Amino acid sequence: MTAAAIAACGLGKDFGSIRALDALDLEVREAEFFGFLGPNGAGKTTTVHILATLLKPGRGTARVAGYDVVRESLQVRRGIGLVFQETTLDRDLTAEENLRFAARLWDLPGGVARPRIEQLLRQFGLLERRDDPVRSLSGGMRRALDVARGVLHAPRVLFLDEPTAGLDPRARRSLWELVQGLRRSSGLTVFLTTHYVEEAEPCDRVAVLDRGRLVALGTPAELKSAAGVGSLEDVFFARTGRPLAEANGGHGGQ
Amino acid sequence: MRAVYGIVVRELVRFLRQRGRVLASVARPFVWLIFAGAGFATVFAGRQEIDYRVYMTPGLLGMVVMFGALLASLSTVTDREAGVLRMVLVAPIRRSTIALGKALGAALLGTVQSIVVGVVLLPLVGLHPTPASVLLAVAGVALASLAMGALGLLLAAGIRSLENFAGVMNFVVFPMLFLSGALYPVSRLGAVLQALAYLNPLAYGVDLLKHALLGSWAGVGYGGELPVALDFVALAAFAAVGLAAATPLLASEGGVTRAAFRERG
Repeated sequence: MTAAAIAACGLGKDFGSIRALDALDLEVREAEFFGFLGPNGAGKTTTVHILATLLKPGRGTARVAGYDVVRESLQVRRGIGLVFQETTLDRDLTAEENLRFAARLWDLPGGVARPRIEQLLRQFGLLERRDDPVRSLSGGMRRALDVARGVLHAPRVLFLDEPTAGLDPRARRSLWELVQGLRRSSGLTVFLTTHYVEEAEPCDRVAVLDRGRLVALGTPAELKSAAGVGSLEDVFFARTGRPLAEANGGHGGQ
Repeated sequence: MRAVYGIVVRELVRFLRQRGRVLASVARPFVWLIFAGAGFATVFAGRQEIDYRVYMTPGLLGMVVMFGALLASLSTVTDREAGVLRMVLVAPIRRSTIALGKALGAALLGTVQSIVVGVVLLPLVGLHPTPASVLLAVAGVALASLAMGALGLLLAAGIRSLENFAGVMNFVVFPMLFLSGALYPVSRLGAVLQALAYLNPLAYGVDLLKHALLGSWAGVGYGGELPVALDFVALAAFAAVGLAAATPLLASEGGVTRAAFRERG
């Protein structure tokens, strides 16, 4: 067992007078499938952006993939993959060109990148569409390509920030199959943020976040039995006094 | 350095894929030559020293540099809106590498477009520069393109959305063009406008091109007005300052997370 994949200590961030994240203590184990459950505005994305070094923490420290997010941000970025809520693909480039562009950004030599791109396109069912511009791909295919881009450099930790927003149920299912396949084949640590309880259910452990504070942490079974309820939805209600769906404000995606 | 290469390649591929953009950039100087050239030529008609179309040739090449490089690096705004900038920002590379890649891509586009236009434009107006002049012109075009690319990055950092684009065109691009000496000598402008012209990187690029292409008319006041060395130093300084200033702005917190935070309401 190596060091924790993610270790946050007293992590916090304010935007002006808004306390986006209060003081988060968290440890995610190597190869763990970790769910970060909470409504819109709970601070999930802020947390991911701090852990991915895109945002400086206002308080506290964090180590990701073995490195400090502030002092060793380049090393952290080398060790992580990040799939954002919205696609980051260049719609004018083809599927393969997007991956080639990413491979150069991650400094993968051509001899490493070419077979890796080939393998990912095959694994993600995009081989036949490799030369099509991204704008012509379906939402599900784009998402798959986003994930392929995220794991191109074989990261230790993959962040998925609300990855199923805007996808139809079939595309969602196939995305989860892809992610589970990646976990099986590479022992990848996956850090998932979601406001859907059914997506948090299969996680090894779930942290429940509300208004910038951690309100519960444990396996889905532990959380349910500790709160004496039958679903993660009820766990959220038991801990915050509000139903999750209402806290989400009825919106899909953040 | 592979990252810089990747960013440059992406800029080129995107440019070549946008047929309209390629066409517009090549056709624009000829439209100016025909319409503005004809109009200004009548104003200049009393002066026999130089054909106005010859006079405006360095300026037209400078214009190609400006539109080519500036618009290319302003595409950072589109990158931010489309989310592509996030992919670049989460890559394990320094912000300065991203800025350099963007500016070099823009510079390459400005240079190549200007050379392509020059190959057609120079014989068309009857200019046949010596190899040494050509070399000086290409060096000037390349350096001016880099300065313009860097400036475009800086502007892009200040522009949060494409809606502000028209403002940039009106308050940056056109004043820069009119205060560059492209259409009339800077030395004949009033003191205030002249001072403004010397804050304009394009003016130094156009001046260099005049040194290279209008040497024969230097005696009658239509050649370059500043020392060649000063033009080079000024362009290099604009490029360096633009890059240095744009780099930290590229990934300002507003760019990534603040926006996401606002969307949540």
